[in-house]
Amino acid sequence: MNAPARLLMNFEVTPASHLLAEYQARGGYQAIEKAIRTMTPKQVTDTVTTSGIQGRGGANFSAGRKWGVINLNDGQPHYLCANADEGEPGTFKDRWILENAPHLLLESMLIAAYALQVRHAFIYIRGEFDLPYRRITAALEEAYAAGFYGKPLFGSDFTCDLIVYRGAGSYICGEASGLLTSLEGKRGYPRNRPPRLTVRGLYQKPTVVNNVETLSNLAGIINNGPDAFKATGTKKSPGTRLVSISGHINKPGVYEVEPGRPFREFIFDTCGGVPGGRKVKCIIPGGISTKVVTGEEVDRIRLDNEDLATVGSGMGSGGMVVIAEGTCMVRLLQVLLRFYHHESCGQCTPCREGMGWMHRIIDRIVAGQGVPEDIERLKQISAWNDGNTICGMGDAAGYAALGILAKFGHEFEHYITHKRSLCDGNLECRASS
Amino acid sequence: MPRIFIDGKPYEAKSGQTVMEVARANGVDIPAFCWHPELSIAGNCRVCAVQVEGRSWVEISCNMPVTEDLKVLTDSDIVRDYRKSILQLTTLNHPVDCGICDKSGECSLQDYHYEHNGTPSISRDAKVHSTKFHKLSPRITLDNERCILCTRCVRFTHEVSKSKSLGVVQRGDTSLIRGSEDGAFARDDYSDNVVDLCPVGALLSTAFLYRSRVWYLKPTPSVCPGCARGCAVDLWHRKPEWKLHALEARKNVAIERVTPRENPHGPWICNKGRDYASFVERPRAWQAMSAGTPVATHTAIDAARLLIEGARNPFVLVSSWASNEELAAFRNLLAERFTALVKADRLAQPGEPMEDAFLIRADKNPNTRGALAQFPNEWEIGMALPADCDLVLVWGEGFDLASAPPKARTIVLDAWDKPTHATADVFIPLSIQTERAGTYTNFEGRVTAFEACFPKPDAVVDAESLFASLARSTLPAAAE
Repeated sequence: MNAPARLLMNFEVTPASHLLAEYQARGGYQAIEKAIRTMTPKQVTDTVTTSGIQGRGGANFSAGRKWGVINLNDGQPHYLCANADEGEPGTFKDRWILENAPHLLLESMLIAAYALQVRHAFIYIRGEFDLPYRRITAALEEAYAAGFYGKPLFGSDFTCDLIVYRGAGSYICGEASGLLTSLEGKRGYPRNRPPRLTVRGLYQKPTVVNNVETLSNLAGIINNGPDAFKATGTKKSPGTRLVSISGHINKPGVYEVEPGRPFREFIFDTCGGVPGGRKVKCIIPGGISTKVVTGEEVDRIRLDNEDLATVGSGMGSGGMVVIAEGTCMVRLLQVLLRFYHHESCGQCTPCREGMGWMHRIIDRIVAGQGVPEDIERLKQISAWNDGNTICGMGDAAGYAALGILAKFGHEFEHYITHKRSLCDGNLECRASS
Repeated sequence: MPRIFIDGKPYEAKSGQTVMEVARANGVDIPAFCWHPELSIAGNCRVCAVQVEGRSWVEISCNMPVTEDLKVLTDSDIVRDYRKSILQLTTLNHPVDCGICDKSGECSLQDYHYEHNGTPSISRDAKVHSTKFHKLSPRITLDNERCILCTRCVRFTHEVSKSKSLGVVQRGDTSLIRGSEDGAFARDDYSDNVVDLCPVGALLSTAFLYRSRVWYLKPTPSVCPGCARGCAVDLWHRKPEWKLHALEARKNVAIERVTPRENPHGPWICNKGRDYASFVERPRAWQAMSAGTPVATHTAIDAARLLIEGARNPFVLVSSWASNEELAAFRNLLAERFTALVKADRLAQPGEPMEDAFLIRADKNPNTRGALAQFPNEWEIGMALPADCDLVLVWGEGFDLASAPPKARTIVLDAWDKPTHATADVFIPLSIQTERAGTYTNFEGRVTAFEACFPKPDAVVDAESLFASLARSTLPAAAE
């Protein structure tokens, strides 16, 4: 088998590798020059569409098709925003890009801004990110000093300014419309669709919001052409994925994976398996909003969207959490539901009331006061949220709960009947065991 | 002009409308908490969900644009199930304190619960408690436990009253409606509208709090006399069949609260209009007087008739609080004998908002335009009446008797008790707006009718019949 493709993590990380000089030494800022000198904005969009790159934030929507909605000749300003509000628990892949390849993002954003004819672009970065914030602002200063931002580029009249905006630490501001509302300085409430953000987004103008990883792939796509990009990954989801893996795993961290390889190989060969040689009980494959995949399923499927879909899950945002044998799933769900309860913005009824309700139910079960109908109730509230809220957070919490309840329902029944966990109830993984 | 089908029936829609707007315009009732015809779309209550035929899921109708031949179902199985689930969630932390809630009886949540859910909560867990009796302003009390966070009030202060004084703080099921820290809500001259907007009993009028159950009250269509805008309002007072026979009998003729009717500017009125009671709950004049001596009303009328008959150059100061009908009666029956001047009965009180860009007008009288239509000349404060004027008929308030020409005789017609009435040659007490029907013409020329809330007390007279009796007794004299 060929060595796995490296599209993003294709350089050695050194204390200086994030600086402009090193980035340019690696061939940086050539893609934007190529785009401006040899391509029209429409051609850039077409190239991105041809490459088939999908959004890396979790929804897997074709980036080119999202861009295609923007009418370049509608006479109004367009906005571009990089979603660096990486709040999905278990996900920290964008952080790697922001810390180690900030110029890759900045160059790629120039390409996107050129394709969409954007004068002002934004990076909405989560407030908890400290080093990533310092790195991206320092890189932006370098880029401004080098004339990539704020000045007409390469003899064209295309100019772009970029503003880095720090969020205040809300999960819901990672949802594109909530992000834009927050960026406008309002309370971070997601907005109703229609209208789509590409029709009325930031300041009521057409806006494209893309994930940091999605954008960061653009420089490579322009440099090497869409076909080289399509040659990696699977047919339906081309390119590589950054996966951040944590939990009960020997080598946690951010990995670039090429979809289509066996899941088991990634966990046990690349990431070193579970500490103490324990079995994998289940894996949350792409942020806690994707449904869990059991250890048995991990053994037989490949790590890509298509195979994960066969077990009801997906690559999501690439935030993988490995859960070893012996972990109590009831308490795991308690942790997840506490998070969703805490992060529900409180705008629409099903999520605002439902999250608190689910949290109170699971707390009661863990306290040994559960009743058999509680399991049904959790499923019911999840179903009430599915597709019935303004944004996807209500759905996501429902998926998380439904996924665990479907595959580990017996643990909940046991907990309710015996008022104690079927497992040892220790979420920590002891290496000595 | 797309045509859409709601539950199989075709309706004409305008492009750009939403399904909710088409439904409401055609009398199809789709439940809604957060949607309000005058406010922007929030889409957060989710109770207005409908099913598009052929789809297996529901979508909210308040944000669904109409398209040609769109077919929606408002009463399919999944819509009914979904509404039920939403009402389970809405009532999850909502206290069941309807028995002591001011909104009870006119509460959307109560209505929808009985119509679309009707079952007790399926939750086993304790309700989440929250702040009660939070003073948003001296006028508005907020019960956060009852609040369903529809954000109508927030949108009202941002979009209609423009004070931007309310917002949501905290997150999730601990979200709270709160006023801005600069206290702008207390300075919002339209703040009381949020009480009507609130679909539940969360926002409460401090003045009306625990005053009465709404089902003991009935609304009488009326016009706010507070300024020349003349907003159509409902005056709520005790139903005659629920008359109190003992204790607090005063409540039988009290205006308990004021709510706006549909007006061209939307269903809004200012706070001054809500304080309608302050216009009418003042010491009334009940006793006719002749030269300061109490006399029977008919004696006073006879005395007034004699004064009018004997006058060579009488002036009348016409009330700008008189209805068009009263003004017409005066013009038809008596005006030819008088020089008529229209006066402003009421001026802005200290602290009362003078004028703004929305509703409040500088002219604090309801029928100045109507009065000027019949009597074109105006009397302004400080304007001296000619020295040869020998009779001044003062109709209503706003004229100081001391400023009448020294030799002129005076007749005062007024509803309110004032010490200066005793100095008039004749004083006759009149009825007030809540005791008679009529119309006012506002500054734009719009005519709005008001009805009587209470029967007229015997001690006072209606201006219309007073003028008739004054004219009846003078006319035969003229014929002799």
